[in-house]
Amino acid sequence: MGKLLFEWDYSSYPGYKKYPHLFKPIKIGKLTIPNRIKYAATEDNLNAGDGFVTDAGVGYLRERAKGVVGGLCVMQGVYMDEKRQGQGYVGQAAAWNDKFIPGLKRLADAIHEQKAIAGCQLMHCGRVGGIETEYCQGPSPVSQRLRIFRPVEVMSKADIKQCLKEHVEATERLLKAGFDYVEISGIVGYLLSNFVSSYTNRRTDEYGGDIRGRMRFVVECIQEVKKVCGDVPLGIRLCADELLDDVGGNTPEESMITYEMAEEAGADVMSVTAGWQESIYPVISRDIPMGSWLHLAERAKQHLKIPVSMAYRLFTPDLPNKAIGEGKLDIWEMCRPMIADPLMPKMVLEGTEDEIRPCVACNVCLARLFRDAPMTCYINPVCAHEWDPKYEIKPAEMDKNIMIVGAGPAGLECAWVAAERGHEVHVYDTREELGGSLIEASKAPYGDDELYGQITFAKTKAAKAGVNFHLGTEVTPELIEDEMPDTVVLATGPTYVKGTAPGFDRANVVPMLDVLNGKAEVGENVVVWGNLKPGIGLALFLAKQGKKVTVVGKERKLGKDINPSFKWRYVGYLRDNSVPTYNDSEIEEITDDGVTIRTYDGYRIPIKADTVVCTVREANPGLKDVVQENGIELFVIGDALVPRNLSSAVHDGYRIGIRA
Amino acid sequence: MAVDPQKELTKLHGALGVSQAVIKSTFFEWRQTALELLGPSSNALDVVLKFWEVAGVDVAKNFFPMLNLRKGQEGLILDLARALAGTGIANGAVVRVEKGEGPLEALIRWERCPWPTFAKRYGASMKEDLLGCDKFLQTIVAEANAFLGTDLKIETQKAIPSGDGVCLRRLYK
Repeated sequence: MGKLLFEWDYSSYPGYKKYPHLFKPIKIGKLTIPNRIKYAATEDNLNAGDGFVTDAGVGYLRERAKGVVGGLCVMQGVYMDEKRQGQGYVGQAAAWNDKFIPGLKRLADAIHEQKAIAGCQLMHCGRVGGIETEYCQGPSPVSQRLRIFRPVEVMSKADIKQCLKEHVEATERLLKAGFDYVEISGIVGYLLSNFVSSYTNRRTDEYGGDIRGRMRFVVECIQEVKKVCGDVPLGIRLCADELLDDVGGNTPEESMITYEMAEEAGADVMSVTAGWQESIYPVISRDIPMGSWLHLAERAKQHLKIPVSMAYRLFTPDLPNKAIGEGKLDIWEMCRPMIADPLMPKMVLEGTEDEIRPCVACNVCLARLFRDAPMTCYINPVCAHEWDPKYEIKPAEMDKNIMIVGAGPAGLECAWVAAERGHEVHVYDTREELGGSLIEASKAPYGDDELYGQITFAKTKAAKAGVNFHLGTEVTPELIEDEMPDTVVLATGPTYVKGTAPGFDRANVVPMLDVLNGKAEVGENVVVWGNLKPGIGLALFLAKQGKKVTVVGKERKLGKDINPSFKWRYVGYLRDNSVPTYNDSEIEEITDDGVTIRTYDGYRIPIKADTVVCTVREANPGLKDVVQENGIELFVIGDALVPRNLSSAVHDGYRIGIRA
Repeated sequence: MAVDPQKELTKLHGALGVSQAVIKSTFFEWRQTALELLGPSSNALDVVLKFWEVAGVDVAKNFFPMLNLRKGQEGLILDLARALAGTGIANGAVVRVEKGEGPLEALIRWERCPWPTFAKRYGASMKEDLLGCDKFLQTIVAEANAFLGTDLKIETQKAIPSGDGVCLRRLYK
């Protein structure tokens, strides 16, 4: 048994019995981790622009440390050079000077307060770095595939030596700050991976050539950092599959050689990853089925003696529990599931899995980071506000009777939060089922069924908080006047509107929800009117049924309501399914033969269509007047206020829930 | 073999869009080339204004065959306004011509123009973008005056690069 920092006994918890493999200790180097859970280092852009740790960053990490219930909680990767060549994110933490130690200590202390193992990470962003400079560093001058990244300046041998020295000095500072575990990041296009990959390393000196030459920098880095780590274990993150075969990247076999060499150099644990930011293949979006990458961990296990950890679409505990039991994995890593719900593994342990807010794998967290914005989460309104008391669910100062009209994601979120605060909450919906239009949205292909998890979560929370449901009930002005609640929250969702062009009144023009519910007959040639997410989801739904679908919409760009880190997936699937899209266009006329569209610059194009499906939404003020006329406090949330997306619905609902 | 008009038109429209984008990219690439060759003492605005002057002289020649004094001053102004609008439309702008308040004036309204977006992409200032366009249009009008012996003027009243949402230019005598 290695050194144990905190005593944990999980044996009396339901999760221990249900997922026995997740709550067994494991030794990493000379340190024993009480369980198999790791919050993996995640950039959050919450630090000050000069790299100092902030209250927001500490609050964020403290909550995740609580979640790992004694496991490993790793702070975001730090950059290590004063010139900021290694910095890849505007709010990335720094460790290039002793002046950063007090802030870093705050993070280590926050993790220790939760009796968890405090991990830190060294991360020179290499090819995707230099965020504040005119260039980035790399082994060879290989052009960037993505325009957002800087031109590469080739590292000399002196630069390499300097970089190694900075890794060592940063490690010393992090150890002084109190961290128990050190990790080196060599993934997704960061510096170490640039040296390892045949795509980006075309050097002819001893740091290039075959895989052993390309690994030399990584090996030296491990060896140098290890010298100062002493008994503190050292981990490394390396790609098991770069997914860069289209540009001459490493083969999976070469990647396994890198794993073996890292172990030989002194790594105590291997974090297995897949893909680069430049890869053209999807890796972690929800169109990739959960567990898809476990074969990489299994392969790594066959090549290594040290423990193997992995994240990458392992969103539910059954998957890693089984994999660990079968010897395919040792440690369950998580980023996004714990961004969505920081206490996720704690709830698994405590047997309250049904109250976990599930990540929808939309990658808005990543999209924000790449656009220099602080971390946020699509479905967790508290994310990055953990430090702010205004976001806490506190008992209401005055109990109210709250009527919520609409049981979609906005209404349900508002309902459970308000009920937890002590209000009497009544939710009404004309439907017989909870979920609003998310029920239909979840029918779209390519993983959109995972969106429904948000309803399952809110349903459970609402039931436990004592929310009263009145399903199949229409709220009329009379009902409002009869009930006279203290507050009305209108969460009725949007209204779906037809266009004004000739032909929109024809029988073959049908609303989106009727199509998704199978209530409307749809011909073989379909025009979907509306080029935002609802239109895209519907188009793919119909295309998968073999229909010939065309998307037409007024918005200048397709899917502008979808975050860029996910939109490319939809664009790809539309292409794969031969769905043409006409953006910035109007429907000029609908006739027997089809539709004539008019592009923004005046060109008219005929499209053959048997059916036109309307997906365009407008705000739904509905009962607003009657509520206000009766002097009742009113809130309008979600699509009823402004048609947007699931995220806005949930965030609206939460914010009004904590305020009402 | 049946013609699929949707397919044919879509292909053409797509190709037009690409060509329009290439024209603008090429302009900014040449601008960069000129600045690099001229060295650090060069002034981007000088280079750009000279370019648009050269372009204006050349483009104006294309309009001469269609300008006709026999249509009268009012007709001439409208024809020239439509020709100026056409230079924008050919580049992907949405431009409309309206009669002005008086008989001898026309308003040309750029409701949408891709040039400022490209200027931003290539790091050129909005001032440079606006003055370049002004120079181009003023040169065409000056060439037309020289050709026909008229005294038409053009002024910019609103400009997208200035944040006005539209470009509004008045062509008048």
